[in-house]
Amino acid sequence: MTASGIGSSHVDVAVTINGERVSHTVPARLLLSDFIRDVVGLTGTHVGCEHGFCGACTIMVNGDAIRSCSTLAAQVDGSTIRTVEDLATDGQLSPMQQAFHENHAMQCGFCTTGFLMTLESVDAKDYQEHDQVIELLSGNLCRCTGYQNIVTAVTSVWHGEEAGG
Amino acid sequence: MKPALFDYYRPNSLDEAVGALAASDSSKVLAGGQSLIPAMNFRLSSPSLLVDIQGMPEFGALTVDSGGVRIGAAVTQSTVERSPDASAAVSALRQALRYVGHLQIRNKGTVCGSLAHADPAAELPALAVALGAELAIHNAGGSRLIAAGDFYRGPFWVDLEPEDILTEAYFPAPPAGTVTVVDEISRRAGDFAIVGLAAVVAVDEGTVTSATLVSFGVGGKPERLATAESAIVGFDGNGASDALYDAAFQDADGALDDGHATAIYRQEALASVVVRAARAALDSAQDGRRNS
Amino acid sequence: MIRHRASHLGRSLPRREDRAPLLGKQQYIADLRLPRMLEVAFARSREPHALITSIDTEEARALDGVHTVITAADLADVETYPHYILYNQPVNQRPLAEDRVRYVGSPYAAVVASDRYVAEDAVTMLSNSTEYEPLPTVADIDQALAEDAPRLYDDWEDNRLTSLPSETPAVRRAFEEADHTFTETYTSQRQTGLPLEGRGVVADVRDGHLTVWSSTQSPHIVRTTLAKMLHIPEPRVRVITPAIGGGFGTKTHVYPEDVIVAWLAWKLERPVRWLEDRFENLISAVHARDQRHDVSVAYDDDGTIRGVRCHVISDLGSGEIFMPGTAPTFVSGGTITGGYDFANMEVSYTCVVTNKTPSGAYRGFGSPEGNLVMERVIDRVASLTGTDRIALRRRMILREDQMPYLMYGGGRIDSGSHAKSYERALELIEPAAERARAKYADDPDVRIGVGYSNYSEPTTPTYHLTTGHWAGYDSAVLRIDPDGSARVSLGTTALGQGTETVAAQLAAEALGVDPENVTVIMGDTERTGYGLGAWGSRSAIVMSGSILMAADRLLVKARDIAAHMLEAADVDVVLEDGQFHVAGSSTPTVGWAEVATAAWARTVDLPAGMEPGLETSGYFEPPDLQHFPDDAGMLNAAAAWANGSHAGVVSVRVSTGELKIEDYVVIHDCGTVLNPAIVEGQIHGGVAQGIAGAMYEHFQYDPDTAQPRFASFMEYLAPTCAEIPHMTINHFESPAPDQPLGVKGCGEGGTIGPPAVVTGAVSAALADLGVDLTATPVTPSAVRDAIRSAANGGRS
Repeated sequence: MTASGIGSSHVDVAVTINGERVSHTVPARLLLSDFIRDVVGLTGTHVGCEHGFCGACTIMVNGDAIRSCSTLAAQVDGSTIRTVEDLATDGQLSPMQQAFHENHAMQCGFCTTGFLMTLESVDAKDYQEHDQVIELLSGNLCRCTGYQNIVTAVTSVWHGEEAGG
Repeated sequence: MKPALFDYYRPNSLDEAVGALAASDSSKVLAGGQSLIPAMNFRLSSPSLLVDIQGMPEFGALTVDSGGVRIGAAVTQSTVERSPDASAAVSALRQALRYVGHLQIRNKGTVCGSLAHADPAAELPALAVALGAELAIHNAGGSRLIAAGDFYRGPFWVDLEPEDILTEAYFPAPPAGTVTVVDEISRRAGDFAIVGLAAVVAVDEGTVTSATLVSFGVGGKPERLATAESAIVGFDGNGASDALYDAAFQDADGALDDGHATAIYRQEALASVVVRAARAALDSAQDGRRNS
Repeated sequence: MIRHRASHLGRSLPRREDRAPLLGKQQYIADLRLPRMLEVAFARSREPHALITSIDTEEARALDGVHTVITAADLADVETYPHYILYNQPVNQRPLAEDRVRYVGSPYAAVVASDRYVAEDAVTMLSNSTEYEPLPTVADIDQALAEDAPRLYDDWEDNRLTSLPSETPAVRRAFEEADHTFTETYTSQRQTGLPLEGRGVVADVRDGHLTVWSSTQSPHIVRTTLAKMLHIPEPRVRVITPAIGGGFGTKTHVYPEDVIVAWLAWKLERPVRWLEDRFENLISAVHARDQRHDVSVAYDDDGTIRGVRCHVISDLGSGEIFMPGTAPTFVSGGTITGGYDFANMEVSYTCVVTNKTPSGAYRGFGSPEGNLVMERVIDRVASLTGTDRIALRRRMILREDQMPYLMYGGGRIDSGSHAKSYERALELIEPAAERARAKYADDPDVRIGVGYSNYSEPTTPTYHLTTGHWAGYDSAVLRIDPDGSARVSLGTTALGQGTETVAAQLAAEALGVDPENVTVIMGDTERTGYGLGAWGSRSAIVMSGSILMAADRLLVKARDIAAHMLEAADVDVVLEDGQFHVAGSSTPTVGWAEVATAAWARTVDLPAGMEPGLETSGYFEPPDLQHFPDDAGMLNAAAAWANGSHAGVVSVRVSTGELKIEDYVVIHDCGTVLNPAIVEGQIHGGVAQGIAGAMYEHFQYDPDTAQPRFASFMEYLAPTCAEIPHMTINHFESPAPDQPLGVKGCGEGGTIGPPAVVTGAVSAALADLGVDLTATPVTPSAVRDAIRSAANGGRS
């Protein structure tokens, strides 16, 4: 509690994450990215900038893609969260994950999980134009691939296009 | 880059929210946090109390009527962008939101948050000024309304005291016979603008009869382009656009000079954007796409 | 002795590396958890040049959760960094700044705490209580070289870290005899490698052994250096690289944080971790490319270039980095002629220190800067003489009948498809240019231009140029276990390029087994032979060479064992599809499992007198690679030279300077291709970083204060998907005659072309306005400046 008696230094955060309910008392200032990685222990979500630009920390909260580095764990109390660990089913890669593999759309893999969550969060039917795909993908940075194969992977799943553009 | 210590408070009512702000000597309103949290991670901002209003129903309303769009403090940019009613009433909102950051930012960031943050290169403050938006501000002592045109004082500086909350923004529908244009030049997709323009242009039979032209990214805050607003009267897209270009160039005198662009570049670029916005407005009008 | 049905090489074998990262299970440095691990944060200078007059650690130490706070005084028993390059002035760098700081970001204290949040609280306290006495600053090359420049190092005569002047009689004659001359300055701006994953170090001590996990490209180099600086016998130091989220050269250096974290673990006898955040990465991980070329060109009326003098000057920041950042300057100066036949070059070198972040390695390593010069010079000569710029390049491009070609600095290009690649690039770009012209035909405000780059890419370079100590080899240790599985341990590392997959292909090829049956181990100094790591586009050659070397040795022994089991003569036994049998007779056979079981377990089945075991090593030194210049100053610093031709179509809007790369073409030749998909991935990524340098990324300092203008992603403009055009890639294969399998390296070529291509294309588009760009980044503001300046009578 502050001197004024308002607010508290710690918060209770109860969320459903990848279908599982978890509940922790954490410092109010704990970033959601650190909550997911260090408290819940899911390290597939990566931290690349901690100021909302690179997208490596992208997760889904209540169905929307957001940047977990620019969010407090406190802000998502009561929410439903999905991270990259939720995409495969019984070890079977999702179609998008498989497409990334088949199209060599990843190299070091650090940005990949963020891309996958951005893609998972939207409806493919809203992204049937090439320009729309480019604009969507522009919210995640990659330093290794030059993006070309990522675009191919996405369009192969969403537009049914052949690889090798 | 972790934030400094602070206490966190979730009020259940407007009274509790303004009460908390009044009681603390270093507090900040937390809505989406997409500007605030990064600043706190850099420790550029270290409030000792955060008052989280994003879950409050009284701030979550997006209301559309024939007069305009009313946006509560907790309403995300995505919610407005996705609302067909809001776009029908004030199409400029979607036009501007298209340029704002990326999907992930808009899913959490709020319209009111962007208005209060007052980044000189942001789109929404300029649009608010261009449309004559009205902002409702509450504190423990009461409330007031302020016109967007009077709200912006300088870079990241608005007419808000530490104990104030911007609770709602009302964007009136632009007058019939006008076209709204939002245009900008930025380096990368989603960046803040090097220069930008929010314009409400009245067109009658292929000629501009009046316009409200508000720049962003040029100076420390959204600026009305007074000279260009005069020069644009009678613009019909035929013949030279030099007069309009020169007027806008002059309006942008004193433009920002930074690592991205020189001052004179901003003047030239803004002047070009004004001319192309004028042409775009005429094209829209011709295609029957004026506001009604 | 081996016959295959199908080769594993030259196939785009899907990567075995993918599954873990796709599932979110890949272990990067930040994912490593050790019990009782403490967290480190650093206090970093906010002054570019100052004496630190007092640091008050008391309040920070007393903070709840803080374990300890250290300053330079605590590290008195740690050695200074080695100084191996004797033609450099000595920097005598210590891991923590003692009483003087020379760049914003320089670490001067370390906090050890229970978590990063608390550690940063303590750092904030420390920073607030630190007192500085500011010193005059040096913010750029001109200031560094000025007559009465403030000196960064009091025991130096000036601010020159290295100075190698040069004079060539042939060039002097050329200037006397040529019809004309011109001078110009070409500038490449300061950038940084910017891997998406920052640096990170975890260290732990158990039973007197120090284990250090580091996101590093060169674990053995880190190990040797740490052991030396911390006075620990090398066998008791182990360095492990977890999965790395990008390196690009930034992670080849041995940083202060590596030393300090290791030291802390050693002293505290508890695991200690430091994870670099993005702010730290921008201001304290090495910068690059900050170079200026002062050039004079002698040329004739018919467009023939007769001589070129170039003074390469690089701004290396404070110079406080190991290994020093001087080598890219020499690569830049030594590769200017790129893909062209031109000998009359005279290059001098100066490296200065300034109050900026120390410079070091970044993909391309000087080649982009050098290529920019050549292509701009060719365009200028073409323009001045009324010669067609495409034809002039055609006259000058290297031809296959000129191989092996000795470059002016000693670079020996033994093979290449330079001329062919150039013609193919022209063929592909012209229709693209037509499309762009058609697209904007109704918009007179938009101009279209095409830019070209023809380069020779040094691959598998000598490390001696960079370090003054290590040279050029790498290692493979090959073992077949009793179950017949192959294990190859490599001294190089994986940064995400697909090294593991290619290594498996190579080992499988050499042993006649399936790549699935090959386990690849990298990045652990205890489980691999000594090696120099991954950088300089060297992995293809050094892996091929060392794996084949180890495999050849192993096959001799395996065949002997098999022959003994088959009761045949050695020379009659062949290996086919993983089975040994007598040539001409498909049965009986023995497989790898049987041979290996004999070697390790049923040694009674070995030939009499044969040593047990089935494990061999190969320490491969690439042929043709030189480490010291000869008496004439010539040095072939790269084992193999790849080549490439880039061409790009750029549209430019005259009124706003907005520019867009409409199309981009790469013709690429890295000799024998081991895995085409992986090679293309390297090209895509390299070109993207090249475009970043050509148009977007610029780490800026205030010239008056030497303060960084910014340090965040908002202003340091790493390109997104929307800024990178689609690339069309064609390949040629000119095998390296002396290198294993004819391979050449391929990681960096993509970065070399874009600066030349973009400056060339924009200049061509705006040629009638008098624009001739000489610097990157090409931004809309820079384009308008050039247009305005040309209109006002000055050349841009």
